Amino acid sequence: MLAQIAYPEAIEKALAEIESLLSRENKLSLDNIYPISRRSLALLVLQKDPTLWERLEQNDKLLAEIEAAILIASEQLGEPVTAAIASSRQQLAWQMEQQVLREPSEAKTPLSETIHKLTVNPITGFPILVFILYFGVYKFVGEFGAGTLVDTIETFFEENINPVVNQIVATIIPWQPLQDLIANDYGIITLGIRYATAIVLPVVATYFLMFSFLEDSGYLPRLSLMLDRLFKSIGLSGRAVIPMVLGLGCDTMATLVTRTLETKRERLISTFLLALAVPCAAQWGVIVGLLAQKPAALLFWAGFITVVFIVVGYLTAQLLPGKKAGFYMEIPPLRLPKFKNILIKTYVRMKWYFFEIIPLFIWASVLIWFGRLTGLFEQIIGLLEPITLALGLPEQVAPIFLYGFFRRDYGAAGLFDLQQQLALSGNQLVVAAIVLTLFLPCIAQVQIMIKEQGLKTTLAMIAFIIPFAFFMGYLVNFSLTILGVSF
Amino acid sequence: MQCNKCPMKLKCSDSPRQKKRGLLGFFRKKKETTTAESVKMTQIALVGMPNVGKSVLFNGLTGTYVTVSNYPGTTVEVSRGQTSIGELPVAVVDTPGMYSLLPITEEEKVARDLLLFQSFDVVIHVVDAKNLGRMLPLTFQLIEAGLPSILAINMMDEAQQLGIEINPEYLERELGIPVVTMAAAANFGVNELKARVAEYVSSNCLSRSY
Amino acid sequence: MMALSSLKTGKIDTVACLKTSDDAMIRKLMAMGVLPGVSITLEQRFPSYIVKVGRTRAAVDRETAKSIYVDGAAN
Repeated sequence: MLAQIAYPEAIEKALAEIESLLSRENKLSLDNIYPISRRSLALLVLQKDPTLWERLEQNDKLLAEIEAAILIASEQLGEPVTAAIASSRQQLAWQMEQQVLREPSEAKTPLSETIHKLTVNPITGFPILVFILYFGVYKFVGEFGAGTLVDTIETFFEENINPVVNQIVATIIPWQPLQDLIANDYGIITLGIRYATAIVLPVVATYFLMFSFLEDSGYLPRLSLMLDRLFKSIGLSGRAVIPMVLGLGCDTMATLVTRTLETKRERLISTFLLALAVPCAAQWGVIVGLLAQKPAALLFWAGFITVVFIVVGYLTAQLLPGKKAGFYMEIPPLRLPKFKNILIKTYVRMKWYFFEIIPLFIWASVLIWFGRLTGLFEQIIGLLEPITLALGLPEQVAPIFLYGFFRRDYGAAGLFDLQQQLALSGNQLVVAAIVLTLFLPCIAQVQIMIKEQGLKTTLAMIAFIIPFAFFMGYLVNFSLTILGVSF
Repeated sequence: MQCNKCPMKLKCSDSPRQKKRGLLGFFRKKKETTTAESVKMTQIALVGMPNVGKSVLFNGLTGTYVTVSNYPGTTVEVSRGQTSIGELPVAVVDTPGMYSLLPITEEEKVARDLLLFQSFDVVIHVVDAKNLGRMLPLTFQLIEAGLPSILAINMMDEAQQLGIEINPEYLERELGIPVVTMAAAANFGVNELKARVAEYVSSNCLSRSY
Repeated sequence: MMALSSLKTGKIDTVACLKTSDDAMIRKLMAMGVLPGVSITLEQRFPSYIVKVGRTRAAVDRETAKSIYVDGAAN
């Protein structure tokens, strides 16, 4: 049986002191309130545990006495108490490990070690990174998912499902407005469901499939360490790489994952950048699909968003006070992912995503229907039209910005649809794509932002993002026109 | 360690919750942590460092899927699921990874605060067999805290590939808590773990009522 | 005694102490098994420092690497 861990004498003294201080001040003994032992509580207080200290702060006198005990202990030890405590535990742990664990003295280098070396060596690592981006992201998600798959499913919908739905609805429902609710140009099935399954589904599915593969292989921590220096310049650390890459799939999920970041400041910056300059899979997938014929325009869009990401990140980091984030990360061994696990994981993420968006897409259809029926829709679009025109865009683009308020992906899908009907020029596409990318995060993301960062911060971010997105669109259109560039 | 005291602190499945609160404002237990259904069932928590396979074990125990990946920090929220061990209905809680009882990041705080504010009948500490020595300090802290702990040494398959051998019986005597070896991803050892949990829960309840 | 950041890559050395006023950094390093007395190998220094302690591999930035001091026996 394990005897009680004996810490250095200075620590034991401080512990005894804190234990008696706590039980004296708090008439009922502490172990009736917390399910953990008194000694354990005293150890946490000794190491300035934030949760417990928050509760102690109401009592200045007690706090001062505890501070004094900690100071005495660390002076006697010549090192921080945290370090001394961890050392005592770790030493005992190694002694125990030596008794129970046997390992071979000489192990051969497995293949995964060699691959690991290649992925983190700067000479081979960066080309591997570019290779993964190009084939995994651009070719697989952009060209195959957003191109081939979307076209196939979309064509199938337009040719086989929409006409049938329109016809059935027309025969069984006599009232025109009610017909429009379900079918025709803005119907729940012909617009809402079609957007969700024909445009968003293929892009998101291919992205999550690729992301799951990267996750299970253990490549992501390696990506983090490769990009740490770059991320430092925008006030983040390599740890923030994983939420950012996840954000390229779904910003809502990514905003939740910012919790793994160490400092409040880092969480704030990454939440803000996710909301502003990280397009979700549906968005960038559709944009890549639209601009695929014009590589220069595609590069311009991607470059512009990257510059916004870095410049805004840099400026935010300069303006925000607080401790700079350090970087530390355990690097797990590389593993060959199991195909079944990747499929299950992609399936679960897709399911989550769809339960999230289907109701919103349906609601959006209903709201648009209601808005058109009452004329409210036209009025809002009328308000947006001057902005649209100032950006050099035709008035038909205005509704798309309105869709964007509901969902990022809904707006992108709208843009896709519009391009089918009236050919926008290269410049117009670029401007619309930039505004849609920067512009408001979707409702679900805003909900998570409020939950994680609070209402005030979220509102402040939104108040910056909306005008900024339109202003950038204006600036790009203006510059392109002045310089006589046309994509 | 004050392990002889552990059984005294256990909340068995049918025991009434303690309602006592401190007279002074601080160190007050949060109200919302005890819900109606959690009172009845045996409560199990899975804790451990990041990337040791807690979520894989959770999936194996409950049949509910939570996302699993090969990098630290996949789980950022607490997942709850249910299973039964024999006749016993059991609520299982999966927690984000934590390095010690003293949290560094927000998600570690989520896991730690759960242990601080909610009582469990069993706390399963999941560790990576390959890194046993580095992970034992958390086991010590759980024992030190008087939490009813079981040590689950996971990823035994990977350790064996490296030629590592572990003697769980010896460790069990040293620590004074049940120790189980397993490879949750290969579904090896999960049943033994369940059996040990059942044994642990019933013995603790007996010693409490007599 | 010298900072880990100036250790040659591929050399094994022993951690002497952690020199930093940042309590959180000490905790992080200890959580990854970097403690006085353990053997440590510096595997590479760019773009991030990669260290191996026992069977654990970890990446840290320059600032963190500077706060780890080794005996310097390997040089």
